[in-house]
Amino acid sequence: MAQEFWPLAIFLFTLFLLLGSGVWIGLALLGVAFVGMELFTTRPVGDTMMTVIWRSSSSWSLTALPLFIWMGEILYRTRLSEDMFRGLSPWMARLPGGLLHTNVVGCTVFAAVSGSSAATLTTVGKMSIPELMKRNYPEPMVIGTLAGAATLGLMIPPSLTLIVYGVTINESISKLFMAGIFPGLVLASMFMSYIAIYSRLSSRFEPTAEPVTTFAEKLKNSRFLIPVLLLITLVIGSMYLGFATATEAATFGVLGAMALAAAQGSLNWESLKESLMGATRTSAMIALILAGAAFLSLSMGFTGLPRALATWIGSLGLTRLELLMALLIFYIVLGCFLDGISSVVLTMAVVEPMIRQAGIDIIWFGIFIVVVVEMAQITPPIGFNLFVLQGMTGHEMNFIAKAAIPMFLIMVVMVFVLITFPGLATWLPENIIQRPGG
Amino acid sequence: MDQTTRAGVLRRVLDRIYSASAALAAACLVAMLGVIVMQMIARWSAFTFPGATDYAGYLMAAASFLAFASALNSGAHIRVGLFLTALGERRYWGELWCLVVGTAATVYLSWYAVRLVYWSWKLNDVSQGQDATPLWIVQMPVACGAILLAVAFADNLIALILTGRDNIRDDVAVQSHAE
Amino acid sequence: AETWDMPMAYPATNYHTENGVTFAECVTEGTGGALEIVVHPNGSLFSGSDIKRAVQTGQAPIGERLLSAHANENPMFGFDSIPFLATSFDDSDKLAAAAHDAIVAALDEQNLVYVYSVPWPPQGFYFKKEVNAVADMSGVKFRAYNAATARIAELAGMTPVQIEAAELSQALATGVAESFISSGSTGVDSKVWESLTHFYDVQAWLPRNTIFVNKDSFNGLDEGAQAAIMDCGAKAAASGEARAKELTDQYLKTLAENGMTVAAPSDELKEGLKGFGATMTEEWIAAAGDAGKAVVDAYQAQ
Ligand code: NA
Ligand code: NA
Repeated sequence: MAQEFWPLAIFLFTLFLLLGSGVWIGLALLGVAFVGMELFTTRPVGDTMMTVIWRSSSSWSLTALPLFIWMGEILYRTRLSEDMFRGLSPWMARLPGGLLHTNVVGCTVFAAVSGSSAATLTTVGKMSIPELMKRNYPEPMVIGTLAGAATLGLMIPPSLTLIVYGVTINESISKLFMAGIFPGLVLASMFMSYIAIYSRLSSRFEPTAEPVTTFAEKLKNSRFLIPVLLLITLVIGSMYLGFATATEAATFGVLGAMALAAAQGSLNWESLKESLMGATRTSAMIALILAGAAFLSLSMGFTGLPRALATWIGSLGLTRLELLMALLIFYIVLGCFLDGISSVVLTMAVVEPMIRQAGIDIIWFGIFIVVVVEMAQITPPIGFNLFVLQGMTGHEMNFIAKAAIPMFLIMVVMVFVLITFPGLATWLPENIIQRPGG
Repeated sequence: MDQTTRAGVLRRVLDRIYSASAALAAACLVAMLGVIVMQMIARWSAFTFPGATDYAGYLMAAASFLAFASALNSGAHIRVGLFLTALGERRYWGELWCLVVGTAATVYLSWYAVRLVYWSWKLNDVSQGQDATPLWIVQMPVACGAILLAVAFADNLIALILTGRDNIRDDVAVQSHAE
Repeated sequence: AETWDMPMAYPATNYHTENGVTFAECVTEGTGGALEIVVHPNGSLFSGSDIKRAVQTGQAPIGERLLSAHANENPMFGFDSIPFLATSFDDSDKLAAAAHDAIVAALDEQNLVYVYSVPWPPQGFYFKKEVNAVADMSGVKFRAYNAATARIAELAGMTPVQIEAAELSQALATGVAESFISSGSTGVDSKVWESLTHFYDVQAWLPRNTIFVNKDSFNGLDEGAQAAIMDCGAKAAASGEARAKELTDQYLKTLAENGMTVAAPSDELKEGLKGFGATMTEEWIAAAGDAGKAVVDAYQAQ
């Protein structure tokens, strides 16, 4: 056995050396793969590398990625966050916990049009942070709930993490998207329950009371929510009803976001150009990581390591729960240091055979991994939501990370909810394709 | 012409090439959107657009590679910066190591990206889809983008050695957009 | 001892892959362990589309590929996918025998050594209604995924809709497509009875997976090992085809058990399709030239 795991030691050593010393992630993966190939095969390394890099870079299913990023970039430059706050707040004011719920509901709604957690955070936060602080809500709660709820951007479709996961393991992205809906809603309601309980128990919770609004006024204010709800219907609805694949839904999203921006008068040549260039850069960044990961996965394939590891794990006779717990801890640790997309692509070559061998549903596992990656967004030292909030509030990383701890724990609970009720994730994807013909 | 202005001209030329390439990448994304829209319209109106998914894939690859260099300088490419920060005043040496590794990796990548194009041409490799495109044509932007990325790394490495700092902005806000 | 990595495109449980594993074991045994072949199933090393090029350029020493996917490169590779030319296992074997030398030569030109090939189950039509003649197909939304299927749609007056394999189930369920042509296994895998009602076993063509070796790697072996590869290949060709026949019957049975009408084509439909076959064979010969004509002539002379 020891001999089989030599490659693992070498892969890990090179990986830690390159990643840890600050080499750009995509290139670090290329470097590790290169070392592995040079040591363990007699095959022509460079040409082999380009075969898989070309294949993964020109993949059709990857095309959804830049489009969803572009959509988010356009929406960020609209008045959407103001409108969402105005439409939601009258409904939230009477709930236990008051306007803190606008953080969670706002993130849930925006998550349904944005594929990213940080974009959800910035869009919702730029309005809700100042408004909630003005009303004297406890600051750790404002920041914490926002940091946690924004991670729903990754679970509720569209989701960049799920696209990358689907591309990496070659599964239907539409199915993965459908799988995220119910778990996302359950997680959102868990966040809201926490807010409600906190508001009842904490003595520090004394926000300014909201003026009483009539039902008619509430309804009237809700008109601000119509554009974003239309956009959600367009994107998720077109996929659910089978009119569009994930990529096509993304084009609906881009065009719909443009229409929304135009209707608000915030669409001009300058903002369109900025959004496009932003999307180009971000998708190039992910593409470089995916290219590196494709080569790494090939390199590991040549060493036979993934299969050896899967067999070894199989021979340990772990129960399904034990395996998932081991993976949970593994990904939480990894997530402290790596961003979500990198930790997914980096590990899938090894983890996928394990999961399949253990008979775990691969679509369900996508949602499992998303929850875990969501936690990584708010764990120090590397957590993008923490960085973004640092920029937005000027607080120390420690303060923000501490404020987010309850949200982290809720997500841990969510993992067990998913394990107990796997149908949350698997029911919808199994049932979209069985719709009667139309 | 003295040394500094000549360096200034070179700087401007290089920066312009990086931005032009990024603009081309953006144009590829727009074209990709166009291809997908056309494919949908074709399907609804009972026409076919043979090879649409293949074309979208080529444009995807071109958009990624052509934007690599500009994404590097704008700080979009993700890295784990803990160690570099911990180095404090000795950060220069850490950055030097990273840029040496980055230059080596991207020179290697671009060399084989050129060979990819060469072999596709030499083997007469044709797309297996309905588009039947000769692959060397659509792989050309990948090779160009890879070369430009290598140039950008070498450029930053030289700048670091000569002036003590590179041209890469460390932009966490930009990076976070993917998460 | 030498180790060869053998990329294969289909899942480990697919009979082509299982057959490939048996072949690999046979070679290891036949060379007394001097040459070990390690199968990498499910595109886990190289994706299906890359396997031929990978073996051509020595990135992998041996591999398996649906050769007809490379017909854009050389029309000869598409000999096994001419619709309604060879419409049974026996005819498919005759056609493969007629094309054998041409394929070996075409592969040789690409630095590849032909080892063996195994057919897929025959391709049949899936419909949402009873179809007794070519005229009944007119106006039906038909999944076209390559030039040949688009041409079939055109000849039959069907409306072609372009759908990727991964999106087939969804397209059928939502009525984007109402018909397609594929083997019985596809229908079973995608539970096609949830959307469609009729399967016509027209055996339009039997595409083949081909195993080939990089020429330099092959020449680097001693004669004993070369012979072991070829002998095991011959055995694998026979066992693979036997398995394909067995599975074909099982798939059709599964379709019927799930409520689909599984039938042979009516004589009228058969005649109409034969007409398409004649047209498309002519078109293939026009593309493949004299070498193509020689293959078709040799096949028809048998
Ligand atoms: Na989302
Ligand atoms: Na983290």
